[in-house]
Amino acid sequence: MKHLLKTVTHEIKKNLLDYLILLTAGILFIVLLQFLSGSKILLFTAVLVFTSFYILWGIYHHAMTKTLRFKNVLEYVLIAFIILFLIEAILF
Amino acid sequence: MERITGFFRHFFTPNENNNYRAKALHHDYLSCYLVIALLLVFSFKKVNIHNVLGFATDISVNKLFELTNSERTKNNLPALTYNEKLSEAAYQKGQDMFRKNYWAHYAPDGKAPWDFILGSGYQYEYAGENLAKNFLFSRAVVDGWMNSASHKQNILRSDYTDVGFAVVNGVLNGEETTLVVQMFGKPLSNAVAQIKTETPPEEQTHGNAAGHPIINNQPMVLSQKETKPKINLFNLSVDMTYIFIFALLSVLLIDFYVASRMKIIRLGGKNLAHFIFLIFILAGISFIISRSGLIL
Repeated sequence: MKHLLKTVTHEIKKNLLDYLILLTAGILFIVLLQFLSGSKILLFTAVLVFTSFYILWGIYHHAMTKTLRFKNVLEYVLIAFIILFLIEAILF
Repeated sequence: MERITGFFRHFFTPNENNNYRAKALHHDYLSCYLVIALLLVFSFKKVNIHNVLGFATDISVNKLFELTNSERTKNNLPALTYNEKLSEAAYQKGQDMFRKNYWAHYAPDGKAPWDFILGSGYQYEYAGENLAKNFLFSRAVVDGWMNSASHKQNILRSDYTDVGFAVVNGVLNGEETTLVVQMFGKPLSNAVAQIKTETPPEEQTHGNAAGHPIINNQPMVLSQKETKPKINLFNLSVDMTYIFIFALLSVLLIDFYVASRMKIIRLGGKNLAHFIFLIFILAGISFIISRSGLIL
């Protein structure tokens, strides 16, 4: 557990701005959901925006750390789309 | 036994045989999850055609009735009796909202909730209405009402003796919508009915001093026959979503933990970022399930 915490702390310290952006986007996503209650289309749009942002974040982050590869981007895209389809199944 | 252990090691932990990344997180496996998710979505939609409502909700009149009475019992109030006429009125109100495309207690043409109640043949001394739309679960609907002072007041009003519900699906403002209509009432007693025959309709006794029924901003439920499917596909899809996300979070955590212990440096996607993303998605799903709707 000590190793894990050390790695997490190191990773966050190294890319503080990137993770702050991701956390802020996540909080905004939750806040946005509160305002969009009552409309499934708008709720799904909020999920779509957040997942799209997550893919863009991945591209930006790996570009900044000079580790941008097609394989890396694909990982973010696949996870984002899995989530989108699962939420689509719940909402519609 | 060794084979099983080897499989789990290969699947969940990074090692030299899986290029130092848990196999469950490899692209081919992630692609498989995507295909499975897609198949689930389409198969659920296909099967759901034969479901009760055809819409992705788990709201039922029975459950709403049970939960409403449960709230009353908790507050030492007598349980309400299910009334078919009030349910018919609620159903007609729901259909009227879809037909005239509005979401309000009063129709654009001025039609009031009590018009539907009287139209169903229910002569009332007190009446009230709660509306809700686009909730996913019956529990969330009742919780939504109980969290609103005016709706709560309707549910816990001791004057009411009867209740009717309708859950209606349709298209409102271009969006597939599930409306829940709840109508409360107390039938007109014989004594009051006698007086009523001698007074003009606009001066009839109603639920409040203004001579109008009490209208609460709560959802209504349509009176309809419920044929419960053996397997609730909506619940199943929600459960599977939770299971999948928790499984993915676990694999990410195990992979991250082992990689950090072994001090492996990798160039792949960031587990920590995936983890943060999935945690927010989980919070979002929980919010959607519990509070996705509106009450009126």
